[in-house]
Amino acid sequence: MKQVYLVCATGIATSSMLRIKIQDFLDEKGIEAEFFTYRVAEMFPERITADVIVATTSMPPEIQENFKVISGLPLLTGVGEQDVFDAIEKALTEK
Amino acid sequence: MEAIFTSIGELLNSLGPLIVLPVVITILGLILGMKLTQALRSGLTLAIAFVGIFLTVGLLGEKMAAIGSAFAERTGTGLDVIDIGWPAASALAFGTPVGNAIIPLGIVINILLIFLGITKTLDVDIWNFWHQAFIGAIVTFITGSFALGLTAAALNVVAALWLADWSQPLIERYFKLPGISFPHLQSAGYMFLAAPFALLLNKIPFLRKLHLDPDTIRKRIGILGEPIFLGLFIGVILAALAGQSLTDIILTGINVGAVMLLIPRMVGILMEGLTPVADAARKFMQKKAQGREIYIGLDSAVLIGSPAVIASGLLMIPVEIGMALLLAPLGNRTLPFIDLADGVFVTAMLAPLVAGDVLLTVILGGIVMGIGMIFTTLLAPAVTNMVATAGSIDIPAGYNQYTVMSDAAIPHSYIFYYIFQSPVVIALILSAVVLAVHFILSKKFVLGKVLFAEAEPKEKKK
Repeated sequence: MKQVYLVCATGIATSSMLRIKIQDFLDEKGIEAEFFTYRVAEMFPERITADVIVATTSMPPEIQENFKVISGLPLLTGVGEQDVFDAIEKALTEK
Repeated sequence: MEAIFTSIGELLNSLGPLIVLPVVITILGLILGMKLTQALRSGLTLAIAFVGIFLTVGLLGEKMAAIGSAFAERTGTGLDVIDIGWPAASALAFGTPVGNAIIPLGIVINILLIFLGITKTLDVDIWNFWHQAFIGAIVTFITGSFALGLTAAALNVVAALWLADWSQPLIERYFKLPGISFPHLQSAGYMFLAAPFALLLNKIPFLRKLHLDPDTIRKRIGILGEPIFLGLFIGVILAALAGQSLTDIILTGINVGAVMLLIPRMVGILMEGLTPVADAARKFMQKKAQGREIYIGLDSAVLIGSPAVIASGLLMIPVEIGMALLLAPLGNRTLPFIDLADGVFVTAMLAPLVAGDVLLTVILGGIVMGIGMIFTTLLAPAVTNMVATAGSIDIPAGYNQYTVMSDAAIPHSYIFYYIFQSPVVIALILSAVVLAVHFILSKKFVLGKVLFAEAEPKEKKK
């Protein structure tokens, strides 16, 4: 199954908010994915197996470069939410 | 009037958060336009999260307290007040009568201030109103008055909005986040205290030459960024110094790791319940504020991915422990514990003050937490009372055992703690003065425009 990492400062607050909203969206689209929430401080490239990483905070450069990282900030502010959903859908459906 | 408030406070207290919060959240959800089942699900999820949180806070109970005391005695440090950490504190604060009322109150105050044109920040991060609830709970504890607690919380909602306006241009420039501000006391409050020190530190060029590289620090001690390892590490050292047997040392390490992982997981369930309501609140507020130029107020967690913030946040672990020991002769009894995992909230909004220099950020963090730690001990009775009222740990009467290092060290927590020690009229006048200072800062001394206008970000941006 495709893996979505949700990353924020604590792995608690904003990442949980992302999970609820993204899950709702994916349910609607009928896309299945596994969710994992992490703290940004525990993101080391060698341990990441995600298909897509959605983060509410900026990510270290070595992760930006090697993985598909989408900013989840619009899901918190409500400005540009659809673009984020579209990007996630694209990342999870393309081979 | 006071009598009405007192009886409301008493009623809320006797029903407890498991009953009151789901009702408040469900009604709030309905007012904000959610469907009944959705609103009910949110309320119920919240109540269930509370059951989980109280269960896991219980892990910090008798045994942890015994080890804390043994540690304090055997090492002669006197650090016997245990830091229960912000995740537990957030639930405890929402569980108090002020906490039950804080979300609707905060939304109403914020919209009012936007309409009056005296703030630009629309705080859609209703979760973090718990910091104001925490202050309100402390004031209720000192004054015995629910109305005064609510007043203090309301005043701090306003203060946080003005701090967000005040810091916005500097934060925007440093983090490249346009249109967003941070009315989050757990970071903005520290920034408020650190700003004058930062002005001084920036004048000492020598310090800036000792450049600490964020990436190296992260690679060396990054493992402490993982709660289970940090928990194991702290638990083992604590139990060893407390002279426990080998099995107890290992067990304590595992238990502390469990606390560090499990309480936040439970708080995650709380967030799950709150998210749909927060979303509805955001839409409602944004609709009300339509056509105005606003900043969207978010959790400072958003800032924490910056390498300088992570590195300095990790370095806060030894700094906070060192500060606690150093300040023990001056009356500190706080044993830094669960909140060691979240030094990044201390450094998030300090880094921009010193253009992202790791050493200077850590120095600022040390100053702020050092000053704060004196007060975390003084606020312990109020926190212990919150823990005792929640009923998940039995605490012998008159025995102060718990505090919250992060929140009790926020200047606003202890400033209002002191203000409300005075008679009511004087307390209200002093509060007005504190608020006036915030207002003047936000209008006349904007960070990044008037103050710190020249400090250029040094950190490389992607």
